[in-house]
This record gives sequence, structure tokens and C-alpha cells, in this order.
Amino acid sequence: MKYHITLLIELKDGILDPQGRAVEGVLQGLGYPVENVRVGRVLEMEVEAQSEAEARTTAHNIGKALSNPVMEVFVVEAVKELA
Amino acid sequence: MKVAVIQFPGSNCDQDALWALRLVGLEAELVWHTERNLEGFQAALLPGGFSYGDYLRAGALAKFSPVMQEVRRLALRGYPVVGICNGFQVLTEAGLLPGALLANTNLHFTCKEVFLRVERTDLPFTRAYTPGQVLRIPIAHGEGRYYADAETLERLEQNHQVVFRYTAPQEAPSQEGYNPNGSLNDIAGIVNPAGNVLGLMPHPERAVESVLGSADGLPFFQSLKQALEVVV
Repeated sequence: MKYHITLLIELKDGILDPQGRAVEGVLQGLGYPVENVRVGRVLEMEVEAQSEAEARTTAHNIGKALSNPVMEVFVVEAVKELA
Repeated sequence: MKVAVIQFPGSNCDQDALWALRLVGLEAELVWHTERNLEGFQAALLPGGFSYGDYLRAGALAKFSPVMQEVRRLALRGYPVVGICNGFQVLTEAGLLPGALLANTNLHFTCKEVFLRVERTDLPFTRAYTPGQVLRIPIAHGEGRYYADAETLERLEQNHQVVFRYTAPQEAPSQEGYNPNGSLNDIAGIVNPAGNVLGLMPHPERAVESVLGSADGLPFFQSLKQALEVVV
């Protein structure tokens, strides 16, 4: 079966995110009452697996391989079976 | 005494590194990143550039290149391994050096000369310098802000693993604003505990002849030559 995976990679809390700050400044300039803007990455992919659990494990391993634990955390945001 | 200059797709300081190594009389060759054998090489240099276009993160994809297993093997056997700029980023991503290099605080790609203080002269990369010597060397990077958690940072300092620090020249009108990227503890270059794996953001290979504006990087390569002669 095929599954669609959404993986989020974000900077850890407490790590200065100059990109987030720049975006925050612009949003505030536009009048939005926002703070603590952080910029991360979304990776989407399709993976072949026998079950949703297996797809989730694969997603987790990919997150581990692609993120840098020094400054990032990853979240397997969604695993959906494809029709 | 042969140095491998590793070429990743997107490396762009490989030829400069080769030039600098050969200038001091070292034998050096370019090695494509898919190579699985570094037999015959006694040192490796990971040059600057934008390996894999810096996609995902600087150095994040290059660490999976087949040649990196061999670089790791050289490092574990105690041979000198140097990562310059993107090469430093690759070494941290590969876990051969602690910490990470994040986007410069000001978000600018910064290309200019900076001043570095040499903190250690007992290494195969720095023995031709004098302790505390201040060098003028160019930087060119967008992600050079050295970061490590407090514990790692303390360990680095205690073990004297910081080799180069951004500094202000004594004659500078201001002793502030010399850190070009927001690196913690003004760190420009670090070494592993064994002292044979070094990473630095500045480009010594771009400062090896006075016609380039500075020759302060030349002793870096002369040091390596001296060290490799001892090995053999």
C-alpha cells in the first residue's frame, strides 16, 4: 500500500531564528498582532508500506536521518493511506 | 603524503584548495564524492561551496555521500581532516565535529575579510602560526553562526577545542562588531578532542598570496605539510 507522509522539521525552542524574526517584523508591519514567529520546513512524500504503522516508522526514520538534532526537532505530522 | 580534496556536487573552492596545497609543495588530488576508497591518501580537505545546493540545510545531504565513510575512517585513524566553510558544515552534519552552523544573525550572505585570533598552535593545521597571532582571512557564507548547547560549548572551551576566534585588530577604532555572523563565543573554527579534525568558516585558501590581499592563510597549509612529513 502507498501512504502519504507529511514531515515537519523545525528549529528547537530557544534557538534564535532570524528568518522567523524577519517574517515577524513584516507581519507586524502589516498590522497583524503576532509574535514568536518561527520558520520550519515541510517535507511531503509517498512511501510504500504494508501498514500505517510501518509507514509511520519509516517516516520517523526519515525524520531522524534528515533533521539535525543539534538544533532541530521533527514531527511526523500526518500519515494517510492513498486510495 | 597525498591530500584528497573532496568534490561534492556544488563545491566551488576545490580548485583554490588544490592550488593552496600544491603551492606549499603538497601532493593533492581532487576526489569525486561517490568515491568509496581513499587508500593512498593521508589527509582529506572538504572545500567550501554549496554541496547539493545547500538544499535541506548546508551540508545536510553531503554527509550521506559515499566518500564520507572513507573520510570518517581517515579521521578515526588520526589523519588530518579539514573542512573549510561548507566543508565545516559537512563535518558538523556528519557528527565528526560538535555543534552546528546556523543562518548568520543578520541573514546576509557575508563576503569580507575578518580578523581571527589563533588559539592553538600545537595542531597539524596551526603549527606554523604563533600563539595569539591575529590573521586577516576572508569569509564568504550565509550560514556560519556557530551554535552548540551550553554543555557542549563549555566542554569545547575546557578542552581548548576552539582554534580560531573572530577578533578585532588592536588598531581597530572599535573593539565591537567584529563577529560577522553571531557565532557563540566568537568561534570561527574548532577541532575534535584528538586534534586531527578541524573545521573553520573562514577561507585560508583564499589568502595564500599577497596578490590576493593577504597571505595569512599560507602558514595553515605549510603547517599541514610539516605535519604530514612527520607522519611519513
